[in-house]
Amino acid sequence: MATFHLSVNGKSFSVEVDTQMPLLWVIRDFVGLTGTKYGCGMAQCGACTVHLDGKAVRSCSIPISTLGNKKVTTIEGLSPDGQHPLQLAWEEMDVPQCGYCQTGQIMNAAALLSEKPNPADEEIIAAMSGNLCRCGTYPRIKEAIKKAASIKNKKG
Amino acid sequence: MKRRHFIYTTALAGGGLMLSFQASISRAGSTMPLPAAEGVEELGDFIKIMPNGDIMFQVIKHEMGQGVSTSMAQILVEELCADWEKVKVDFPLINMARYENQKNGGYGTGGSCTLTYAWDLMRTAGATARQMLIEAAAAQWNIASTECYAHNHYVIDKRSKKKLYFGELASLAAKRSIPQQVKLKDTGDFTVIGKGKSAKLVPLMVTGKLKYGLDTQVPGMLYAVIARCPVFKGKLRKFDASKALGVKGVKKVFSTAPIGGLQLHAYLPYDIRAGVAVVADSFWAAQKGREALIIDWDEGQNAQSASEDFEKLAQQRAMRRTDPTGFIGDENAISDLAHVRKTLHASYVFPHQVHSCMEPLNCTAHMHADGCDIWTGSQAPNLIVDEMERVFRIPKEKIKVQLFPSGGGFGRRVYPDMALEAAYISREAGNLPVKMMWTREDDQQCNLAHLFQHMEYQAALDMNDKLYAWYEKEMVTYTWAAKYADPQLPSMLYDIPNIRLDTENMIEDELVHSSAWRGVVCHGKFLSECFIDEIAARLKVDPVAFRLSMLKEGRDVFVGGEYVLSSSRLIKVIKLVTAKAGWGKSLPLGKGMGIAAAPYGNSFCAVVAEVSVASQKLKVDKITIAVDCGKLVNPSGASNQIVGGIVWGLTALFYGGLPIRNGRAIQKNFHENKLLRMDECPSMEVHFVDSQDERPWGIGEISSPLGVPAVLNAIFAATGKRIRKVPIVLEELGGV
Repeated sequence: MATFHLSVNGKSFSVEVDTQMPLLWVIRDFVGLTGTKYGCGMAQCGACTVHLDGKAVRSCSIPISTLGNKKVTTIEGLSPDGQHPLQLAWEEMDVPQCGYCQTGQIMNAAALLSEKPNPADEEIIAAMSGNLCRCGTYPRIKEAIKKAASIKNKKG
Repeated sequence: MKRRHFIYTTALAGGGLMLSFQASISRAGSTMPLPAAEGVEELGDFIKIMPNGDIMFQVIKHEMGQGVSTSMAQILVEELCADWEKVKVDFPLINMARYENQKNGGYGTGGSCTLTYAWDLMRTAGATARQMLIEAAAAQWNIASTECYAHNHYVIDKRSKKKLYFGELASLAAKRSIPQQVKLKDTGDFTVIGKGKSAKLVPLMVTGKLKYGLDTQVPGMLYAVIARCPVFKGKLRKFDASKALGVKGVKKVFSTAPIGGLQLHAYLPYDIRAGVAVVADSFWAAQKGREALIIDWDEGQNAQSASEDFEKLAQQRAMRRTDPTGFIGDENAISDLAHVRKTLHASYVFPHQVHSCMEPLNCTAHMHADGCDIWTGSQAPNLIVDEMERVFRIPKEKIKVQLFPSGGGFGRRVYPDMALEAAYISREAGNLPVKMMWTREDDQQCNLAHLFQHMEYQAALDMNDKLYAWYEKEMVTYTWAAKYADPQLPSMLYDIPNIRLDTENMIEDELVHSSAWRGVVCHGKFLSECFIDEIAARLKVDPVAFRLSMLKEGRDVFVGGEYVLSSSRLIKVIKLVTAKAGWGKSLPLGKGMGIAAAPYGNSFCAVVAEVSVASQKLKVDKITIAVDCGKLVNPSGASNQIVGGIVWGLTALFYGGLPIRNGRAIQKNFHENKLLRMDECPSMEVHFVDSQDERPWGIGEISSPLGVPAVLNAIFAATGKRIRKVPIVLEELGGV
């Protein structure tokens, strides 16, 4: 056990937890943000995707002791008002079914769009194929990412 | 059976109208009304109209991604003439006393039948609330209610065009008596039903605000995981918890064997694996504690068994004759040498599968002196309450269940085992609230599974090369379907003079307990679409032409189950899908098209798959689907269901099955038990026929069992190879 200081969505938290505890469980059970989901615990499904300094990572496979000073952004912090272009596009295209994997999908897609504002289909598929969706929403996820890219570009 | 509606109203504290409703198919033909609720605030199923005009719709059906909360709201809003944007959905505490009926107004969610049963109820509820608002406005204006109409959240005076907002009228409406008769809209006037609506929960989903069962937080809550016996029917012999108890945060370790074993529920039998529970102050500590357990299992009769052994046994038994479950024509026609000139045989296997709900199974429970509180996502909270009463002897009225939407249900969340495990752990932990979680490994290795089906087919052609007799033997691992489906004949509409179905049960021999899975028994039954293809190929007839030659316009068929099936509707979806997919177009070498079509409930679906096969690789290029689901309520949600069902089937095709060695499921997590990913997902096109039906039929499962036979038939078209077992072995495909 050790005390860790971390920044989640711009707020500071101190937690006293096992050094091996994955970031996922720190976020869910100690910080208390449950939008980040547990799906597999071994970086196979992407449901737990968050950003560390803007990069998409699988929080289930990052021991808290390796986090360092990296800033954590979860789905709750992606946009102050839930109006991120991806969130708007997801709603417009009616993407989710059960919705459980979708926060991870959106966080992964957000990292893609910050690197590639206009991703080609192949780039979307390559970036998103690490995220599982048992309901089978892949076709709409792909379309919604393109939609979000166009919303983002319009906004400038 | 008579259908009665029961609608209650009450004024809300602080103003507003609350309207509660339920329907009951009265049992045994009795028309006794159910008693009125005493504590109105505890009613499970209601709409509230607030003074500001907001409408809250409390949904008792389980929302697990199939979109029922949205489509039910659409039906309600249509009749209520409300503003779609003002309606929110929520999920209440259950109240079994009021919703004990399985169908219609009940809690049970499955079998793709929610909208079918909710249709009349939601329409009547919406129309009733609308009429009360109209009457309240008419009284205000001192005119006849017939002089007013409702539109987009207002009641409007036809003559003066004066209008009053629903919110302003709600409290006044609450004081009025409930109209005995209400007029439903003409279906031609629908403006909300039939329009694609984004699911009501999407804004909560995309911001991480939607709470699932796994997100439950209760003050003072502990966490638990269970080390379950890896072998079905195994028992716990002894365990050493000393190291586990040394893990910081671990509070208690104890056996769950007292609630373990087969649960012989008459309606839905299930299984709870015996195990050892580890209770801790965090999930992580519980997990670490579990890893430190030393357990001695009595692995029992299945200790040495493998899934291949079970499949061989099924193959052997499939070859022996049994008494027919049902037949038309001559039950022995298949071997009637006076008519039969050629026979064809084929064995198809659709093995056990895991559900892999993205939200792993979980339940939070708090046993206390006055009963038990449960927080979970469930397709059948009625079963939770029944089983809690049976196992723990808690009176039903002292069991409170707060339902959450689920991260996938797919039939697995029909079963109440999670609640029993969690409640037992809560009690043994000292009546403390406990969140009991399954890890992904638990989900893959110690779970109920999709039922197993081995399909043995025989076909006989007569001297004119007509299909004279069809014989189908189904090896099954389920009993419950008979209760409400009662199949007597193969689930197909082809006009064959002699058809026989045999079924034989293998429940005693299976290596994992069977359960319901999206598409249920149809995954095996619809493999008949592959055997039909084999017959067409033998006759050198186009597979679509062959099907159409055996489907007669206007011919209705009863094969068992709830509905008489319409050949005309099946013909329509086949013709639509083949037109849209370009059936018959010439394709390059290595590419092929295949079709599969069938009824599901009272919906009809046809699927055309286009595939490429090259050097032991299979690519599904495109899937085209045509559906007749009766009245289409939400084209956007329905299309999602159809696409999702295809992805579901393709996962089974490429990666499915539940391989077992030495009694143990050998795949542990998604790296071994793979699911289809975006890079493998074909492009898809969904077409709905313009149905004349006045009511909706099921949509959530119909495409899921048709993707596999369509793709298998396409593989044959591309390569000449018949694949008769799922998952596909790519090496068997060869190259072109």
